Amino acid sequence: MKQIIVIINGINEWIGRFVGILTLILAVVMLAIVVLRYGFSMSSVWLSESVMYLHGMIFMLGAAYTLKHNGHVRVDIFQRRYTQRQRAWVEIGGTVLLLWPVALFILVMSQPYVESAWRIMEGSREPGGIPFLYLLKTLLIIMPILLIIQGLAEVLRAIQVLQSPTPAVPDPNGEDSRHREDGF
Amino acid sequence: MMEFLAIVMVLAVFAALLIGYPVALTLAGVSLLFAGIGALLGVFDTSLLSALPNRLFGIISNPTLVAVPLFILMGVLLERAKVADDLLENMTSLFGRRPGGLGISVMLVGAILAASTGIVGATVVTLGLIALPVMLRRGYDPRLACGTVCASGTLGQIIPPSIILVLLGDQLSSAYSQAQLAQGIFAPDTVSVGDLFMGALIPGLLLVGLYLVYLLFTAWRSPERVPGLSEVELSERPDAIKIAGSLLPPLALIVAVLGSIMGGIATPTEAAGVGAIGAALIAAVKGKLNLRVLMDAGKTTVRMTSMVFLIFIGASIFSLIFRGFGGDEMVHNALSSLPGGTMTAIFIVMLVMFLLGFILDFIEITFVVVPIVAPVLLMMGVDPIWLGIMIAINLQTSFLTPPFGFTLFYLRGVTPDTVATSELYRGVMPYIGIQLLVLALIAYFPALATWLPGVLYG
Repeated sequence: MKQIIVIINGINEWIGRFVGILTLILAVVMLAIVVLRYGFSMSSVWLSESVMYLHGMIFMLGAAYTLKHNGHVRVDIFQRRYTQRQRAWVEIGGTVLLLWPVALFILVMSQPYVESAWRIMEGSREPGGIPFLYLLKTLLIIMPILLIIQGLAEVLRAIQVLQSPTPAVPDPNGEDSRHREDGF
Repeated sequence: MMEFLAIVMVLAVFAALLIGYPVALTLAGVSLLFAGIGALLGVFDTSLLSALPNRLFGIISNPTLVAVPLFILMGVLLERAKVADDLLENMTSLFGRRPGGLGISVMLVGAILAASTGIVGATVVTLGLIALPVMLRRGYDPRLACGTVCASGTLGQIIPPSIILVLLGDQLSSAYSQAQLAQGIFAPDTVSVGDLFMGALIPGLLLVGLYLVYLLFTAWRSPERVPGLSEVELSERPDAIKIAGSLLPPLALIVAVLGSIMGGIATPTEAAGVGAIGAALIAAVKGKLNLRVLMDAGKTTVRMTSMVFLIFIGASIFSLIFRGFGGDEMVHNALSSLPGGTMTAIFIVMLVMFLLGFILDFIEITFVVVPIVAPVLLMMGVDPIWLGIMIAINLQTSFLTPPFGFTLFYLRGVTPDTVATSELYRGVMPYIGIQLLVLALIAYFPALATWLPGVLYG
C-alpha cells in the first residue's frame, strides 16, 4: 500500500516539476511573441499556437499534482474543526463519490472526441500551424486518469491515517496544512 | 419536475460544499448525480452532456485565459522578490512622522501590490505579517490596524490587472454575445478584458482615495489612534536613493503592464507575459533569483492555475446540467418578471452574490453564477462593464464582511492572539461603509465605470 502511494506521488510530483518549468517557458514565449511583433513586425503561427499547448498542459497535467498538494479550494467553514480522522473520512468519501465519478465521466465523454481527432491526425487549421492538435486534445483523457490515480493515493493515505492508533484529537497543524495556500 | 430537480440540485450542491471536499469536484460530482437521477426519471436529456469535451477544449484553447497563469507567475515572482517588504519598509519612513502616516503607507503599499499581483490572499497575509506588527508596536489602535490591512488587501480584486477581472471579463464577454444573439443582434458588440480593466481603474482609485480620506480623518480627529514614528525610528530612515530603488521597479512594472493594455499596444495576455518577465528581472536585480526560486515559482503557479481551471471545469459540468434541467430558463423567468424591473433584478443578483461570497470565492462565483445571471441582465439592457465592476466591488465587500468574509480568515491566521477577533470585525466596519458608498455611487453614476473604456476604446 505504501509502495503504491510512493509511486503515484512520485509520478505527479515529477509532472508538477515538469509543468512548473512550462509556466516559465510560457512567459518567455509570450515575451518572444511581443518582441517579434512590436520590434520586428513578425509573427509566427507556430509560436502563437505553442502558447495554447503550454497553457493547456499546465492546468490539465497540473490538476492531479495540485490535488496532491491540497491546492484545490475547499469551503473550510467546518473543515477547520475536523479531527484528523474526520478529514480522512472526507477524503475517502469525496474521492469515491465525487472525484472518481467526475473523472470517469470526463474520461468516457471525451474518449470518442479524442479518438476522432486521432483518426484524422488533427492538426492546426492555420497554414504553418502546429500539426499536433490531436495530442493536445488527448489531455482531456490524461487529466482524468492522473486525477483518478492521485485520488487512489489520497484514499490510501487516508486509510493509513484511520489505521494509525492516534487518538481522535484535532490536528494542531491541521489548519495550516489543510488550508489552501493562496487566494484571490 | 425538472425545475424542482434544478432547485434541489442547487441546494444539494451547497450542502455538499460545506463538507469541505474541493469545490470544483463537489460542483461537478453532485450535479452529475442529479443528471443520473434525472435520466432515470426520464426528465433529463443526456445527449446534452456530449457538448462537454468541446467545452473543455474551449477552456484550453481560449487565448484570453492564458493571461491567468502569466499574471499568477508575475505575482508569485514579485512575492519571492520580497517587493512588499521593501516597499513597506521604505514607504513607512517616507510617511512615518505624522499621525496616520504609517497607515497611509500600508494602504498605498496595498494598492501597489494589488495592482502588481492581484492576489488577495497573498496580499493580506504579506501585509498582515509585515505591516500589522509594525503598526501594533507603534501603538496603533489594533482595530484600525486590522481593518486597514484587510481593506487594502482586498484591493487586489478590483485594481487592474487583476486575475479576477480576467476571468470575469471572459465570462461577461460570452454572456454579452449570448444575450445579443438571443435578441437577434447578429453583429454583436463585444466586451473585452481590457474594457473591464479600464472600467475598474476609476472605481479602484476612488476606493483607495476614500480609504485614505478615512485614515486622514482619523488622524485629524483622534491622532492617538494612529501615532507617528518617534525621532529614533526616523533617524534610521534610509536615504532617498534607497527609497527610489525600492519604489521605482514595481511602479515601472505596473505602468508598463497597465499602460500597454490601456494604450491598446498589447492584449492583457501579452502584457501579462511581459509583466512576468519583468517581475523575474526585478527579482534578479534584487539578488533574489536563482534556479530554485524559479522552479518553485513555476510549481506554485501550476498549483494556483490548476486550482482556477479545475473550478472552471467543474463549473462547466454544473452549468451544463443546470441548463439541462431548465434552470437557466427558470432564473431568466424569475429575474425578468420581478416588480420594479431591471433595478430589482440587479439588486437581487447583487444580494445573492454578496451572500454567496460568504462561502464561495470570486472564482467560483464568476464561473458558476455569472454565466447564469449575466445573460438575463444584459438582455435587460444593463451595461456589461458596469455590471462587471458592480460585481467586483460587491464581492470585495462580501469578502470583508464578518463573520464569514474570507479576508478576515486570512488575517486571523497571521494576527497575534492579543488582538481579539471582535476587534478585527469592528475594524473593517468603516471600510465596509466606504465599499457600500462606492457601490452606491457607481450605481447612481454608471459613468464612473463606463466613461474611461468608452474614451479609450471608443
